[in-house]
Amino acid sequence: MVRRRFHAMGTEIELLVDAASVEGALDAAEQEFHRLETLLSRFREDSELSRLNREGSLEAGPDLRRVVELALAARARSGGRFDPTVHDALVAAGYDRSFELVPSESDTYPGLSMELDMDVHVQDSMDIHVEPDRIRLAPGVRIDLGGIGKGYAAERAAEILATAGPCLVNAGGDVATRGGAWPVGVETSGDLLTLELSGSSGLATSGRDRRRWRRDGRELHHLIDPRTGAPAETNLLRVTVAASDAIEAEVAAKSLFLAGAEHAAAEADAAGLPAVLVTDDGRTVHAGGVA
Amino acid sequence: MTSHTGRLYSLAIALVVFFLAWAVIATHPWATAGKDARLQALAVREAQLRKEAKLVQTVVAQRWANYQLQLKARKTAIAATKTSSAQNAPISTASSGASSASSQVKVVTLPPLTVTKTS
Repeated sequence: MVRRRFHAMGTEIELLVDAASVEGALDAAEQEFHRLETLLSRFREDSELSRLNREGSLEAGPDLRRVVELALAARARSGGRFDPTVHDALVAAGYDRSFELVPSESDTYPGLSMELDMDVHVQDSMDIHVEPDRIRLAPGVRIDLGGIGKGYAAERAAEILATAGPCLVNAGGDVATRGGAWPVGVETSGDLLTLELSGSSGLATSGRDRRRWRRDGRELHHLIDPRTGAPAETNLLRVTVAASDAIEAEVAAKSLFLAGAEHAAAEADAAGLPAVLVTDDGRTVHAGGVA
Repeated sequence: MTSHTGRLYSLAIALVVFFLAWAVIATHPWATAGKDARLQALAVREAQLRKEAKLVQTVVAQRWANYQLQLKARKTAIAATKTSSAQNAPISTASSGASSASSQVKVVTLPPLTVTKTS
């Protein structure tokens, strides 16, 4: 078993390959993360995504086009619970820079309005057009591909590593596997549950226990509810979902998180999505076939 | 008689001189220097082009060799991927539906190789 860890896309990346002499594949997978970060990060002025948000129209490369298409499909599939146009809502909530640089309540920094602006709502109409060689945004629309971009990168890296042997990619919680059987730890309320993923599959965790901050006495987090344009108010602390790939798992985890504890378990059961739900009062609920 | 012979000699000499002069003039001796310069320039240019052509042929040959190597590596990678896909075929086919995801996930008591946290 060969393991490599590095930092990319604002999080820790972990690559595991069940084979020997896989340095070339590991290098290629790591380079793929860095390459995709330069394209998809909203915190890099020169990324394709930043240029698209700035100019409203861009002759985009295949990766950005693909991720935007995946995001639009996810928006349709989730009934709008997942929406890439939450960019402005995230910025208004204070997540306007790489998370390591977002100050907590005790920190002060110049240049950022301390008034909460929750009137910024997300779009819900035909606001993104993906053409064969160009992406066009409706006026005032800006997109964030943070979560789904990591899922996409995890899948891409897994494809590369799969040429060397059975592998697992963990992109800060978004997990993609190819071949083999992989025990993966899932945080519950004070404990660790181990799920074994096999073959080609994905796992993702979304929650408000990390990437959170306080402003004007309110606790805010990075999971925006597209229906309100504000950080989601839910009695769930964290949701972990397994699916056929990391992208689907990422979308499902966010969607179930927004559904709240009352509906999330039923929705996971109905969809056949293995899920582990942790509520803010310390309960752990298994759903979708997780015994 | 003597004067007639003399005139014939004179005419013959005049004809010889005339054709000699014609031959000399036909060779354009005054244009020799310019013509050589152009030919030399053309020769130099031809040599340059031949040299560049050889260079281009060398580059093309190198690129062709690189392409063949990359093609071979790519074919190997595709074959490996196909083998891997074939090994996982039952799982991959089943994973197309969300309901099959549960069949790929089970709770175990093994120590985890990695941990998923809020992304």
